[in-house]
Amino acid sequence: MSGLAYESLEDVEFPDDIHTTSTGISNEKLGMWVYLASDCLLFGGMISTYLIYKNRPGEIAGLSGNTDKVSEYFDIPFTSMTSFILLMSSLTMVLGVNAVIRGDLTRLRLWLTSTAVLGALFLGGQIYEFTNFVVNDDLGFTSNVAASAFYALTGLHGVHVVVGVIMLLSMLAISFGTRIRAEAVEVVGLYWHFVDIVWVLIFTIVYLIP
Amino acid sequence: MSAAVTELDDDSPVNPGEHHTHGPTDAQYFKVFFLLVALTALEVSTYWWDDIFNADTKKIAVPVLIALMVIKFFLVALYFMHLKYDSPLLKRTFYAGMIVAIFVYVVALTVMNFWSDSGTTEFNDPPIDPPAPFCATSSEPGPCPAG
Repeated sequence: MSGLAYESLEDVEFPDDIHTTSTGISNEKLGMWVYLASDCLLFGGMISTYLIYKNRPGEIAGLSGNTDKVSEYFDIPFTSMTSFILLMSSLTMVLGVNAVIRGDLTRLRLWLTSTAVLGALFLGGQIYEFTNFVVNDDLGFTSNVAASAFYALTGLHGVHVVVGVIMLLSMLAISFGTRIRAEAVEVVGLYWHFVDIVWVLIFTIVYLIP
Repeated sequence: MSAAVTELDDDSPVNPGEHHTHGPTDAQYFKVFFLLVALTALEVSTYWWDDIFNADTKKIAVPVLIALMVIKFFLVALYFMHLKYDSPLLKRTFYAGMIVAIFVYVVALTVMNFWSDSGTTEFNDPPIDPPAPFCATSSEPGPCPAG
């Protein structure tokens, strides 16, 4: 294998406790998967709520909001672009995981930075979309029930992306300091791919299905 | 492009012999990524199908979109999240959460009258095709004949 920074292998730590658990899987990794399984339920609830209310915006009592359906304001070409950005961040993440498995810290840092930047770009797109809805279309969080469900769902996903970016930047910082654990990068990667997988569902169910 | 992912040899300074990852190579990840991009492009194209085909394509587009979404979901889960290569216990954990979520929310959507939503803005709107009224004194479906 050419081009590998073998000297940096000393800075990578692989788990030595995986054979001591009864499952043969490290507790961190199993814990992350259990968390992701429970997050399926959380997002399932939010998606269902949006589906129930999307055609029934109504009006929140006491507020004179915009009662149009949220879908009337979607900018599909723009959201497609941000979806592509998030998809690309999943690729850079797996390349980062492969880099740390090879002990190539230089490329790990490159891919972690790329993933964090792409995640931040996605967030920027979401902020732009929300601002556009609120300022130009007068469609705020409390305008109507459908809008509330939409902002709660996509906002919750955005919060997950923010947490993911923080985790990526933490991994990046750790890679410059103490020995980095290869499995820690893999677990962060699992979280990041889950964020991507949820967006695959949201993009289709919320934005594309009429 | 980087070389295939291999195990560290026993001369490695890092916990020799204790690392056993057999994930895809960088090249395989790129193949999965390009497949995902192609599927996403196909998904997005459905937005313009009505204009392109000059017809109402909703009945075709919706099943196509759902199928593409499921394929993309499993491509990311199996390859990017290594479910295909990892312990079966992790698969069971994740699929259990997913199946419970799907079951619970299909029931919730049914209870909330989602499948019979006629597209009006009313919350308790009637079903799109209400059942024909039944006449107890007639064997024919529909309202009782006059007289």
